[in-house]
Amino acid sequence: MSQISPVVIVGAGTAGISAAVELAQAGIHSIVLDEAPKIGGAVFRGPYREAIELPHLDSKLRKKISNIRQQYHDHQAFIELRLNTRVLGPAGTSSLLIRHKEEVSELTYEQLIIATGCHERSVPFDGWQIPGVMLLGGVQLQLKSGLVKPGQRMAVVGTGPLLPLVACQLHKAGVDVLGVYEAGKFSDFAKESRALLNRPVLALEGMGMLSYLKANAIPMHYGQGIVSASGEESLNKAHFAKYTDDWYPIEGTGTSLELDCLAVGYGFVSRNQLSQLFHLEHDICPISGLKPQVDAWQQSSQDNIYVAGDSVGILGGEGAMVEGRIAALSIAQTRQKVTPAQANNKADEYFTLLHKVKSFRAGFDRIGRRREGLLSLLTPNTIVCRCENVTRSAIDKVIEQGVKDITSLKMRTRVGMGDCQGKTCNSYCQDRLGHELKNPDVGHVKPRFPLDPIPFSALSDGVQL
Amino acid sequence: MSTNMNKKYDIVIAGGGVIGASCAYFLSKQKDLKIALVDLKKPGNASRASAGGLWAIGESVGLGCGVIFFNRMTMQQADATGEDLPPMRPHVLPDYFFEFALKSNAMYPGLWQELKDNHGVDFKFEKTGLKYVMYDEYDKMYADSIVDHIPGLIDQVSWLSAEELAEDEPYINKKSIGALEFKCDHQVNPYRLNEAYLEGARQNGVDLFLETEVLSIEKQGNKVIGVETDAGFIGCETLINAAGSWAAQLSKMATGIELPVYPVKGQIILSERLPKILKGCVSTTDCYIAQKDNGEVLIGSTTEEKGFDTTNTLPELKELVNGAVKCIPMLNDLNIKRCWAGLRPGTPDEFPILGEMPGVEGYINACGHFRTGILTSAITGKLINDLYRGLPLDMDITPFKYDRFLKSTDNESIKVGEADQEVEIA
Ligand SMILES: Cc1cc2nc3c(=O)[nH]c(=O)nc-3n(C[C@H](O)[C@H](O)[C@H](O)COP(=O)(O)OP(=O)(O)OC[C@H]3O[C@@H](n4cnc5c(N)ncnc54)[C@H](O)[C@@H]3O)c2cc1C
Ligand SMILES: Cc1cc2nc3c(=O)[nH]c(=O)nc-3n(C[C@H](O)[C@H](O)[C@H](O)COP(=O)(O)OP(=O)(O)OC[C@H]3O[C@@H](n4cnc5c(N)ncnc54)[C@H](O)[C@@H]3O)c2cc1C
Repeated sequence: MSQISPVVIVGAGTAGISAAVELAQAGIHSIVLDEAPKIGGAVFRGPYREAIELPHLDSKLRKKISNIRQQYHDHQAFIELRLNTRVLGPAGTSSLLIRHKEEVSELTYEQLIIATGCHERSVPFDGWQIPGVMLLGGVQLQLKSGLVKPGQRMAVVGTGPLLPLVACQLHKAGVDVLGVYEAGKFSDFAKESRALLNRPVLALEGMGMLSYLKANAIPMHYGQGIVSASGEESLNKAHFAKYTDDWYPIEGTGTSLELDCLAVGYGFVSRNQLSQLFHLEHDICPISGLKPQVDAWQQSSQDNIYVAGDSVGILGGEGAMVEGRIAALSIAQTRQKVTPAQANNKADEYFTLLHKVKSFRAGFDRIGRRREGLLSLLTPNTIVCRCENVTRSAIDKVIEQGVKDITSLKMRTRVGMGDCQGKTCNSYCQDRLGHELKNPDVGHVKPRFPLDPIPFSALSDGVQL
Repeated sequence: MSTNMNKKYDIVIAGGGVIGASCAYFLSKQKDLKIALVDLKKPGNASRASAGGLWAIGESVGLGCGVIFFNRMTMQQADATGEDLPPMRPHVLPDYFFEFALKSNAMYPGLWQELKDNHGVDFKFEKTGLKYVMYDEYDKMYADSIVDHIPGLIDQVSWLSAEELAEDEPYINKKSIGALEFKCDHQVNPYRLNEAYLEGARQNGVDLFLETEVLSIEKQGNKVIGVETDAGFIGCETLINAAGSWAAQLSKMATGIELPVYPVKGQIILSERLPKILKGCVSTTDCYIAQKDNGEVLIGSTTEEKGFDTTNTLPELKELVNGAVKCIPMLNDLNIKRCWAGLRPGTPDEFPILGEMPGVEGYINACGHFRTGILTSAITGKLINDLYRGLPLDMDITPFKYDRFLKSTDNESIKVGEADQEVEIA
């Protein structure tokens, strides 16, 4: 292994920067690529910055993580940061195809860390496309920009720790929050209290948010969820109901709210397009989607590629930081910059923390595991794939014809073939086929290369002749 | 899946690309046989990667998929001799290949109707023609030479002047000097064609084992008796090897002989969806261009021997882009949506390998379709069906049998004909 060639890191979020810093501490250079104009990733980059002011992370860690930018500055000599640079996929066997502004070029690597984070999971239901129905992340983004309130009268629906957080943020921003609908049952939260206490401070801060909601008369409904949304031009009504254990809406328990914006959050999916394009081995994870297989040191099925952070399973900020550092330590070992003893010694602390984070997370994951009832929220005409306008009934038809895997589903209906590359519709298709076939292994929408369109002009020498 | 354990099929087809799927469809039409098709999509499987051209004449004269390869060959020749580009001789395949290609081509209109009406899948057959667009006198000489080679097909070609071309295809570079059009060369949507065959077969009672890999082959003496898959054992009387670029591995397991089939990589570029900018398919000496049924413009394709590698590489993509932009300048202002690479099942003489294998019972080859498997899938399915049932064949398949390679082993080489020696496709 060459001692000089810098490690290439995709993603300047929590995991990517943590890895770069740990590498720098071992005297190893890295090149960090991120499509965003700032470092920090989904949470700590610009608009999301306030997330850390909110009771989501204990103060010690908050400091550690919010230090990210500082840490980067402290180790800048070793870190070549390339922002506004999108990795489009592998080029040949040891290069990346990257795009910076109008320019497309190759960047060779010997060792690569993929730390591409996650995106939100879309769960379609009757009316989910009406303007005013938004994902939690989009809602947060609008809030943080400080200019626009996403709506005047809102509700928050879905599952997971982000629900009360966003509700509090909305309320603070002056939005009339009509209610929070958490699909998980209250009794489930009680059952998981032991798991949640793995990160006691996080649990307590979660409680803090709940009391805030209570104090402000924002009802928190457990075991309830979305049924449908309606409105002509834009959203004006959303319908909720109690859910059965399998998350089927129970008839006769419905309530309707008049509102102009609905924040929906059914969790996150690992951004695994790059790891898929590298043909890494993946496992199917009911929570994070398809996730690359890694060993305890975050090493993937290809020796020189590591994966860290949300892109290898959603664990939140702490987990991402620790995983980035572990990957870096492993690389430092392969380059003989640290001895195995030194690496083990340092990693011990990281492994312990990671274990706690995983136990904490597993509690939420058990509560928020998506149940089959969510699949019942579509009418035959509900659009599943927005890019290609594929309805539920089109999918019903080919499933009836015997389609058993995502690839055939895609070929027959064009679902997932549009510009978003299945980002939006994949979750439903996966869950639906998995449910019909009683088998979660139905294949997956394969990402295409390049990840984004590139102008012909970026590759051409201009018009000739 | 222990349920397959006791199931015995008349035929197991290994490979579910267009070739395996077409065999399944034709063999199941009479619904009298128990057939299973086993397919695992390996990276680079050809049918879904293909351009979908039914360029019966175009491919037979070395345009379309072969064009970059032959172009480069000529350049090299010119470099070597230090002369100006010599008059390029088109790479024209022998008559029996024309027959194979043209007969298959003629089946598509009927097949399209049939699969649409009876089985509900539309593979988007479009009558497009294929235009060979010429930029200079060398291109014209090349075209003249093509026409000289195919006197019997003169009613299928027409010359377009620069003005006629500009009128017909207003987005093609106005500096082109004209085009030679092959009127019977059309296109389909290749993955839809694949799905259509599969769905037809399924409706005719074929059991589809998708996402399933053939791991090994069970034999009794010199007879194939079944395949071991990751879904269990599947017994059969006859195995059809339609494993595309992986056919050699399968034949080795089934017969002990490794077929001379190897992957030939082809990279392709696809544009974003555009309003109709091309009436017909186009081939230049740089690349071919086809606007598909949903508006995306497809540009192909390289011919590379890189083993099973399916990565996209910048220099090759640039070459395709330059060829495309030269032909259709407006593309320079538009976007590439997608690139991929597929593996053509190549053979030393460019011809498929069809039929039995000497010394082995219960085994049939249907592989090696190189750059024309979409086009020739229809006749392949029909021929394999007729062969299996002992019916008279639509054409003599001797030139496509494995035995052809045995004959030439006398002189220690697997070369067929002078033309191939010249282009060294192997
Ligand atoms: C909308 C949203 C809100 C969240 N809110 C919170 C919260 O409040 N609290 C909390 O603890 N966690 C939150 N999370 C989870 C949180 O993002 C993390 O757990 C953690 O920060 C993940 O770090 P990471 O490094 O894995 O990913 P990120 O920090 O997201 O970093 C990934 C980076 O990779 C870049 N990238 C991805 N693909 C490419 C590519 N092809 N080319 C170039 N760059 C690329 C992205 O631009 C991004 O900067 C949220 C996540 C999301 C998506
Ligand atoms: C870039 C490109 C452009 C092309 N353009 C055209 C064109 O315009 N017109 C034209 O006519 N032809 C074209 N071709 C050629 C055409 O695509 C091929 O000739 C044709 O698809 C071959 O079909 P096949 O079924 O033999 O192979 P494949 O489609 O590769 O199918 C073989 C299948 O068998 C599977 N398999 C292999 N081993 C096993 C196993 N052990 N167990 C289970 N499954 C297995 C493979 O994974 C694969 O799914 C093009 C090819 C390429 C690469």
